[in-house]
Amino acid sequence: MSLAGLHFAAPWALAALALLPLLWLILRAAPPAPRAQSFPPFRLLLGLRTADEAKAKAPLWLIILRMAILALAVIGFARPSLAPRGTAEEASGRVLIVVDDGWTLATHWSAVRSALQAAASDLEAGRGEAHLLLTAPAAEPRSPSEALTPGGLRGRAAQLEPQAWRPDRAEATRRLEAADLGDMDQVIWLSDGLASAGDSLFIRQLQRLGPVRVRIPDAGTRAVTEAVAGAEGVRVVAVRSSQASPEAAVSAETQEGRSLGVSTLRFEGGRGEALIALPPEIAVRTARVRLIGEDSAGAVRLLPEGASRPSVGLADPGGGAQPLLNELYYVERALQPFAALQRGPLATLIENRAQALVLPDASRLAPGDAQRLKSWLDNGGVLVRFAGPRLANDADDLTPVRLRVGTRALGSALSWEQPQTIAAFSPESPFAGLVPPPDVVVRRQVLAAPGAENEASVWAALQDGSPLVTAAPRGEGLIILFHVSAGPEWSDLPLSGLYVQMLRRVIALSGRAPGGGGEAVDAGSAPYRPVRLLDGFGSLREVRAGVDSVPAASFAAAVAGPLAPPGLYERAGLADAIDAAGPAETLEALALPAELRADRLELAQPRALAGGFLSLAAFLAALDLLVSLFLSGRFLALRAASCLVLLCLVGAPQNALAQSVHTQNALTQTIPAQTAQAKTPLAQTALVQTALAQTALAQTALAQTALAQTALVQTAFVQTAFSKTAFSKTAFSKTPFSKTGRALVGDPTLTVRLAYVVTGDAAADRQSREGLTVLSDALFDRTAVEPGPPIGVNLAGDELSVFPFIYWPAPERPQSLDPEALANLDRYLRLGGMLLVDTRDAERASNAAGPAATMLRGLDAPPLERVTEAHVVARSFYLLRGFPGRHPAPELWAETQSSAAARDGVASLFVGDGDWAAAWAGESGVPSRQRELALRFGVNLVMVALTGNYKADQVHVPALLERLGREGRP
Amino acid sequence: MSSPSAPAVLRLEAASLATDLPGLIVQARRLASAVPGVHGRRRAGQGEDFWQFRDYRAEDGARHVDWRRSARGERLFVREREMQAAQAVHLWVDPSPGFAWSSAPDRWPAKAARAMLLAVALGMVVSRGGERVGALGGPGFRGASAPERLAEALITAQGWGQAAIDLEPAAPPSRGVVALFSDYYAPPELWRERLRRSSDRGAYGVLIAVIDPAEEDFPFRGRVRFRETGGDAETVFGRAEEARVAYRARLADHRAALRAMAEPLGFPLLLHRTDRPPASALAALVGVLAERDA
Repeated sequence: MSLAGLHFAAPWALAALALLPLLWLILRAAPPAPRAQSFPPFRLLLGLRTADEAKAKAPLWLIILRMAILALAVIGFARPSLAPRGTAEEASGRVLIVVDDGWTLATHWSAVRSALQAAASDLEAGRGEAHLLLTAPAAEPRSPSEALTPGGLRGRAAQLEPQAWRPDRAEATRRLEAADLGDMDQVIWLSDGLASAGDSLFIRQLQRLGPVRVRIPDAGTRAVTEAVAGAEGVRVVAVRSSQASPEAAVSAETQEGRSLGVSTLRFEGGRGEALIALPPEIAVRTARVRLIGEDSAGAVRLLPEGASRPSVGLADPGGGAQPLLNELYYVERALQPFAALQRGPLATLIENRAQALVLPDASRLAPGDAQRLKSWLDNGGVLVRFAGPRLANDADDLTPVRLRVGTRALGSALSWEQPQTIAAFSPESPFAGLVPPPDVVVRRQVLAAPGAENEASVWAALQDGSPLVTAAPRGEGLIILFHVSAGPEWSDLPLSGLYVQMLRRVIALSGRAPGGGGEAVDAGSAPYRPVRLLDGFGSLREVRAGVDSVPAASFAAAVAGPLAPPGLYERAGLADAIDAAGPAETLEALALPAELRADRLELAQPRALAGGFLSLAAFLAALDLLVSLFLSGRFLALRAASCLVLLCLVGAPQNALAQSVHTQNALTQTIPAQTAQAKTPLAQTALVQTALAQTALAQTALAQTALAQTALVQTAFVQTAFSKTAFSKTAFSKTPFSKTGRALVGDPTLTVRLAYVVTGDAAADRQSREGLTVLSDALFDRTAVEPGPPIGVNLAGDELSVFPFIYWPAPERPQSLDPEALANLDRYLRLGGMLLVDTRDAERASNAAGPAATMLRGLDAPPLERVTEAHVVARSFYLLRGFPGRHPAPELWAETQSSAAARDGVASLFVGDGDWAAAWAGESGVPSRQRELALRFGVNLVMVALTGNYKADQVHVPALLERLGREGRP
Repeated sequence: MSSPSAPAVLRLEAASLATDLPGLIVQARRLASAVPGVHGRRRAGQGEDFWQFRDYRAEDGARHVDWRRSARGERLFVREREMQAAQAVHLWVDPSPGFAWSSAPDRWPAKAARAMLLAVALGMVVSRGGERVGALGGPGFRGASAPERLAEALITAQGWGQAAIDLEPAAPPSRGVVALFSDYYAPPELWRERLRRSSDRGAYGVLIAVIDPAEEDFPFRGRVRFRETGGDAETVFGRAEEARVAYRARLADHRAALRAMAEPLGFPLLLHRTDRPPASALAALVGVLAERDA
């Protein structure tokens, strides 16, 4: 509703003005309440009289003040605004509206919207109709022949969004011709003001239809045409139209939109360059470059992740090694700036189409992984391996040369040789040109098997000619072996800059096989699949259904358009992008014929007056409060401070009030408004509470007044309440989720519990349980260990790390473990758990393929040694000479001390054939003395599991005693 | 200032007085120290303190001779003690709600609080003179602990808060000295009855009217509804400032009537405003008592 230039957005609120006469009556009838005063000498006042009571009625001016407050508030809530109209003539009759809905107008889109809305309003007044022509091509273009009512135009204007490509006026001309509109009363062209092909034809066509009004944005357009992340930062090239400002700020942003760096770009003529200085490892994280202040697809340049960098996988064997001792640490640090690194299990890396893989020594190749790795190599992967103790002892066939078992130590105590430096690289080597620093020495290496030196090409060698880096092709791929460890244990190489350069060159080789690995990719046919697309405003959006992939053949030359929407694409694991503004983008000004004059696109903004009205009402309400207090004689009692608070209150929520009025329709919108605007809801609450206290104090005085003020306080209350709701929601969403998992009876983390592997063989399982029960009781009776009842575990599914000791008897028909159980058991042993594998076959003739071989197949089993009387297990509680089970003299093997060095020499794997559980359980046929000894062995074993090598010095007691005796003698 | 349950408020007031008893004692002690005491009879008589040696006279018994003094010379001496009349001073503080009132609690204390302070300080001065003090209707105390016990008796014995404005002070013991603290807004006739009963029994004393400044100055302006403190009667003044002159005239009349009634009965009236320092009031009070005593 409009009234004398004043526009009311909520005119129904004006109905409340009808209340004014009512207020008059109420105010006249009820004077301000008197102040109550307790007075002891009341008796003396009896019978005294003062001035006329009638005088105490509210004075006229006070009534007028209060009615003014109410009137202002009512008008304020009706949301008035002053809307000056454009200077140009109004649209009427049949109107063709042409919109250049490309990214070139995106920055000025609000102006476009309001221009369309204004046109719709004009047509409403003049009962006209509109035709809409959008010049940017769309997948399904709408014909301009469709006549829109003003309401329809309004609807289209609300939905209209700019496209992420530029208008194509030649194509628009064709559509216009096809529509055959006939004569128009007026043609309004909301133009981007930029020249493109087919302009003159297009303008002529428009002029043929009717009088043309061109409206062009004031501010011009800018676009980024090039952005490259390099060694010194991100280099940006941008272009601008002639009206655009000669300076711009460019920002390098991460995927999440966090700014990495900002620089100022100065245009010289139409083009400008800038460098956002960033360290290379930061620069590579740049996902896009954006012109600040320009909200259009053209002002955004996408730098797809890894598009220029090889994707390198680091095979991580898992297990929590300390970071600085981790083999991959050095590789990761070296490659970080040059490659897109991912870390994880081998299978995942291959699945993720890593172009190169780094395989440190600690990784053992599972059979399935080895198979996958081979096919990945055949498809062109680059495998970088490092040597280490494991490779030295147990080389697989995925090496460039066959390796000798064992290592060559240079410069150790028992060696004549000095540590070797690296020889200069031969010109054929990929490392040619690098200079090996003289202080890098190699102390240990693996050697090629005799006679195998010629199987592979030697890329780097030591001074004595022994190879340091060898490489051999395999299928389409390449295997490269560093004959030293990835960390600094074997050589100084990982500590030198040479290491970084060598790895960089090696990784660069992976570029020759794009998308290497995985299924073979037919480079010709696989299309580029859109991942995220730019909208006209330059934000990345999810891909909507119906957007096709871009054929690989045309991708490189693709120009942004409906068939190749700009955004991020992916093909065979490689990311790429189509940008809205091509590298050759030019933003020339549109050449208009002399008879056409360009108007400003931007309309003068209507001025909202609601805030002013409400502020004035609130101010008068505060004044009224003071006046009321004065009239009732309380003014002097009020502290200056509380007056101040009151005035603050009048000032503070004005904005909030105005805002809540603007966001009229939505409670939900109040929440963001609140959170965005009032950063300190507490402070506001405090203010409101103070105000309430005030109100309570002067309740009687305020009773009939301050409708506006009540509304004000209520609004504030509503906002506070909403912000509270929002807070509590956040709090709730943080409720911790419970970890799901198989519930074990009793909590093995609270009590020590011995465990046995459930083999599926009922007799064996029963015996295990009974045996361990007896052993647990024996421990309880004889030692400080007080275990709970034993528990059966499933190797594949259960969390083993909570059990210090696991007994694993061979079932009747042993089976090898599935990969999941293997991984679980591997992890258990690496963490330092203790596993006793009992083959129970002492009386059978031992042959090569005993049950243990089956049971432990595939396990990353450490080397074993025979357990003797000198082993800690013979001393840990009882002194034992043998370890009898059901059999009086079984074999017992344990992990070697050197292999368990990481765990302080405490063996984690014991393998034997004593059938101990049967002896513990008291199976018939076992002599009681033998059973007692078996129990003692069990106690000792559990003691080792729990205390480690605590009793290891017992082993040395005889030697110590002897030495003491010798020293005691003169 | 609206007090829907004046008794509760008063009880609270009494409780706060009681909890601050040490503070009250300290304050009173400071006050009392500045006032010269009502001291002994200044003549020989029954008492504990040494007064003088005098020559032995024939009527004195041999046991009255102070042999230690006498041995120093030729003559016999008799030790005389100062006469200490064990006269009792009885104090009373009006417990009515109207008395426990202050027009500006943050600027000056309630009348009752000031009265309590004066009463205890007076008790100190008096007990320093060797006389007994006590709450009206209760036992008298003497010695160093007398002020504390007096204060306790004043606070606990009087039934604070249950009192109406015309609560009557208990009759004083015969021949006692009585100090009555109140605001004396009850009609003078009522007080005449009370005082006559006292004077009939031979008691005399002093009336201390403790007054709030607002009660004397009547500073109220504008529209005010006056309510009887501790009662329900109300009256509304459209312009309270217009009633000031008439009120003050009435107050003066009331005081004159009170004075005219009390003086002949042996009860002079002292006025004390709570915005004035209590020391002057105490000095005046002690002066009046000493004068009456002489």
